[in-house]
Amino acid sequence: MRVMILIKADKSTEAGVMPDQKLLAEMGKFNEELVKAGVMLAGEGLHPSSKGARVRFSGEKRTVIDGPFAETKELIAGFWLWQVKSMDEAIQWVKRCPNPLPGESEIEIRQVFEAEDFGAEFTPELRAQEERLRAQLAAKKA
Amino acid sequence: MRFMIMVKATRETEAGIWPEGKEKLFADMAKYHEDLAKAGVLLDASGLQPSSKGARIKYSGGQRTLVDGPFSETKELIAGYTLIQVKSREEAIEWAKRFPAPHGATADGEIEIRQLYELEDFGPVEAIERFRKIGIGTKK
Repeated sequence: MRVMILIKADKSTEAGVMPDQKLLAEMGKFNEELVKAGVMLAGEGLHPSSKGARVRFSGEKRTVIDGPFAETKELIAGFWLWQVKSMDEAIQWVKRCPNPLPGESEIEIRQVFEAEDFGAEFTPELRAQEERLRAQLAAKKA
Repeated sequence: MRFMIMVKATRETEAGIWPEGKEKLFADMAKYHEDLAKAGVLLDASGLQPSSKGARIKYSGGQRTLVDGPFSETKELIAGYTLIQVKSREEAIEWAKRFPAPHGATADGEIEIRQLYELEDFGPVEAIERFRKIGIGTKK
C-alpha cells in the first residue's frame, strides 16, 4: 500500500525559514534509509502559503484567492509518498523521522487510494486510461 | 516550477462517501488529468483515504506520541492531490481554474495551489547533494 506522510506547517515554515544544516543532514540520512528499504516514492517541501493560492468552487463559479493563508496549523509544509506493507510499518518509519521543525511539530499519515478502491464507477475504460497515464509518467521519470 | 494542487476534505470524503454523479466526476477527473499529461504538465496525482484510516505523530520536547485517526478538523485535511510542472505561477493558477469541481459539479469545494521547493532553494549545503542523489526535491 502507498501512504502519504504530511508535515504540518508552523510559524517558521510559513515565514520561509530554511532548515539548518544539522536537520538537513539528519533528513538526508533518514531519506537514504527510506530509499535503501525500498520505501521512498517521493519527498518534497512546499514554499510558504504566501506564494500559493486557493481556488474556490461554488456552482459554476471559480474564485482565486491569493495566499498567505492565516490558519497556519491547517497548512502543509512538506510531504513524502511511501510504499509500505502496513500502516504499522509507516508508523514505525515516522517514529524514526527527525523532528522536522525547530520546535513542536506534527506529522500525519494517510493511506492513498488504489484503483481497486473506487468500485464499479471506475469503469474498465477509466481504469485503462489511468494505467496509460501512470505508464506515461513512469516513462517520463525514467 | 513545480506545484501541488491539493483538494480539501469534506464531511463526505471523510465518511468515504462518493458524491452523486460519481461516474461523471471520475470521467471529468480522467479527462482533466489526460489534458495535463498531454501538455507535459502532469507529474503525479492520487486520492487519500479518510483520516479514520490514518494516524498522526506529534513531536514535543524530544517525545513522539502516536494519535490514531479520524481527525475532527475536516477542513484542515487533504483528500487528494495533483502534482504539476509549469513555467509560472500564472500557468499553475490557469490549470487550477480548469480543475473539475472536486466534490461534484454543483457542490462547493476548495483546492489549494502550493509551490514545491527545489533543492537550489536550500542554498549550498552538503546534505543537499545526498537528497539529489536519491531523487528527492528534483524535477523529474
